[in-house]
Amino acid sequence: MNKLAPSIRLDSGLEIGYGSPLARFGQEVKLTGGTHFLLARNGRGKTTLLRTLAGTQKAVSGKFQVEGFLQYLPEDLRFDPAITPAMVFKMLIPKARLGEALDLAKRIELDVKKPYGRLSTGNRRKTSLIMAELSVKADRGNILLLDEPFSGLDAFARQAFEEIWKESSGNVLRLVSCHPDYDSMEMPSAVMIEGNHARHLNDAGQTWSELKNLMN
Amino acid sequence: MRLFKLTFATIFQRKAWAICMLAVTTLPFALPLISSATEKPILVQPARILAAWGTLWFCTMVWGLFTAAHEGERNAKTGVGEYFQTTGVSAPRQLFEIWLAVFSFIVPMALITAAICQFAAAPADPAERAVWWTLNLQYLALFLLVMGPLMALATALASRFGGITGFAVTLLIVLYGLYGVGYLENMLKLEENPILRGLWVYSPHYDFADLTQRLLFKRGAIPMDAFWSLTLYFAGITAVYTALSRIAFRTKLSA
Repeated sequence: MNKLAPSIRLDSGLEIGYGSPLARFGQEVKLTGGTHFLLARNGRGKTTLLRTLAGTQKAVSGKFQVEGFLQYLPEDLRFDPAITPAMVFKMLIPKARLGEALDLAKRIELDVKKPYGRLSTGNRRKTSLIMAELSVKADRGNILLLDEPFSGLDAFARQAFEEIWKESSGNVLRLVSCHPDYDSMEMPSAVMIEGNHARHLNDAGQTWSELKNLMN
Repeated sequence: MRLFKLTFATIFQRKAWAICMLAVTTLPFALPLISSATEKPILVQPARILAAWGTLWFCTMVWGLFTAAHEGERNAKTGVGEYFQTTGVSAPRQLFEIWLAVFSFIVPMALITAAICQFAAAPADPAERAVWWTLNLQYLALFLLVMGPLMALATALASRFGGITGFAVTLLIVLYGLYGVGYLENMLKLEENPILRGLWVYSPHYDFADLTQRLLFKRGAIPMDAFWSLTLYFAGITAVYTALSRIAFRTKLSA
């Protein structure tokens, strides 16, 4: 097994939910390094699927396998209001990558000296994303489960993160739940929950415009 | 130890610890000056001992337990605990790292208090002075052995039931153990009652760990046999509280 290649395998028959099933995978899904979008309408099980894969919630039935160093970034993750983003980075990011984190923060206009409690929603999101992205391990495969990472984020910051995602698609698998806000957004790989059925749609040319028509 | 570092930095940044540190350092010297000890210099030393340990108990019970509970609740409520759990930091490990971060602020305060008693309130009599450091060390050890597990319990209860519950329950336990069991014993002396007797037997006798009176009246160090028995007794309570804390601790609030 290649230690640098992250993977997620969702077996056919996997059911997720709280007690009763919210969604079921009719076919086996295999995801490898790169960015995969997780699409569904509100309340259909995006967060539940991410939590199930992260191991903080039990699957209703069925099996799945996750290979790689995992980080799940909850949508509502927040740090103490008194602490600054600079301190968060200093405490949580490996020393060797601290400079990189501060450079990225500067590039996307995150004031790292401002207390977390006084940051806007978008800037709080930037703090969590930088922390997670710069915590990935170079010597092994990584899995990042990102719950609504774009909400509150400005277009410039979003673009900066998408560039990072492209650069590190080899040893990082990202499963990103989101509600895209522009039709032309490319989504070559998407896990979609329609009704209570989940499936993987894999097409190099597919965009949000086409995929949203499939959602009900 | 990323969670330890984050929690430590968070507590440090909030700065409330500085007020406790200031109180522990200055009140043993300031309070005797506004008491009757100024009229009777012989009372300065006992007043200092009383102020030193009293301040430490108060700061640990109020700020220490509150901080431990607050950190436990915050970890579960804000997604931080869930994030760390997914990175492989298990629930017991998270509890340990949060506890260690809070305890790291309590230990220096306890050391300062013991040092003040040792160097600024030692008896003049050479024989009493010779065992003074032993008594101070015994008090320090028992104090830490009492407060350590209570802090873990405050964190754990707060992570499941909320910060107020975590703080209030542990504060009541320590107050009961320090003062309540004494009242209970007095009641039993007046009238024997098997239920109250059973309650008294199984109560945490934290009054055994409060050696302030022993210091005040210069009764000397606790004989080593008795000290090890006390250590074993409090180690037993530690084991019980550790197990309870492990069961109660949650890395995220239930959905």
